[in-house]
Amino acid sequence: MKQHEIDGILRDMLRQDVAEAMPGLVGFEEKIVLELGERRPRLRISDWLRQLLAPTRGGRIGQIGVVGATAAACLIIGFFAASQLGLHTGTPGIRLTPSRTMDGRQEVLFVLPALDASDVSIVGNFNAWEPTSLSDEDHDGIWTASIPLPPGRYEYAFVIDGRWWGQDPLADEYVQSYGEYSSVRYVGGGDGA
Amino acid sequence: MLVSWTVYVCSRTDFPDVGRPKSETPSQHKVTDVAPKLPRGKACILITEEAAGNVYRAQDEVSLLRASLEGETEAWGEIISRYKDAVFGLCLGFLRNRADAEDIAHDAFIRAYVNLRRYNLERRFSTWLFTIAANLCRNRLRYRRNHPVAELPAQIRGGVDPATIVAQDDRHAEVRRALAQLPYGYRAPLVLRFYNDLPYREIADILSIPEGTVKTRIHRGKAMLKQRMEEERDAS
Repeated sequence: MKQHEIDGILRDMLRQDVAEAMPGLVGFEEKIVLELGERRPRLRISDWLRQLLAPTRGGRIGQIGVVGATAAACLIIGFFAASQLGLHTGTPGIRLTPSRTMDGRQEVLFVLPALDASDVSIVGNFNAWEPTSLSDEDHDGIWTASIPLPPGRYEYAFVIDGRWWGQDPLADEYVQSYGEYSSVRYVGGGDGA
Repeated sequence: MLVSWTVYVCSRTDFPDVGRPKSETPSQHKVTDVAPKLPRGKACILITEEAAGNVYRAQDEVSLLRASLEGETEAWGEIISRYKDAVFGLCLGFLRNRADAEDIAHDAFIRAYVNLRRYNLERRFSTWLFTIAANLCRNRLRYRRNHPVAELPAQIRGGVDPATIVAQDDRHAEVRRALAQLPYGYRAPLVLRFYNDLPYREIADILSIPEGTVKTRIHRGKAMLKQRMEEERDAS
């Protein structure tokens, strides 16, 4: 037998086998289409995002809901990650934009990570250098105080268990007086208190 | 003036009597006249489900794939019709077992549909589809190594007596038995070359081996087939 004869026999045999098997494949397409049903080709993440943001026939309300829920989930995860990061690096991971009160004051948030402290307070020119306590209600070592302040420039320092701590990582600048550092924050663009 | 038409596939119940198309062929209507469920005032072509099959059959492959991506499983049904023989033949050739070949061909079309977004429309679709089928066949053969079933040529012919097959066509039976005994690495290129009529480059793509290796394996595979057939003849 010659090589080229093998080609022909092989080709014929393979086609004959398929031809004989084909009657068993009646309804093959319909079976798969039925099985696929309402399935759609799997989306890639980029396609999923694009579809999420594109207008749909289902209306905007549901879409806004989905986007809002996704954004809320991202924010929660982001805050959680940021607070965790802040704990490990020793720097506060959150900075909130001050909210304005009715009389034009702004709620200014002071945050200080102090893991082993039992008492943390803040002193400054806004409270005549008399301690205002920071709280740590969930005992996670992050101490906070929200103080309403009119626009202005404020010098302050933290007192941790009686010890002066003048360098707030969230301060706008630092000043040195009487050999100690104090922090400075500008509230609402003010330049003096 | 350029007018773009949107094709809507409707069932008979979508049409009030007044707008019901008389023929099975696609017909043009204003949506406001015939199908209150559909967006009003848009220029569109309404076609019945019966006529949709004809429309899909007339479409080119890229259009069908785009429609499939949009979730039109009927378009995918047309793709299956076009490639059923090729994919099933590939599986039967690779696996030499009809039940396994049906299973894998079925799985290949499901898997291809689900992963259709991974397919690059600029590449040849058949190559991508055959690659999926070939990989599934290879996995099934690995599974069969631990869970063997009869790979007898008789099984390919269903209930027909092997003796009858031999009587019908000795040479086909000989080559069928010889092919079943070949290692997968030689059998697969032979099937892709002689059943699917693919060029060496495409076979190389599908099997993820160099083109030179494909040529060598086809040459050696044929030599092995010839040798086994001659040995069988000598023995009988």
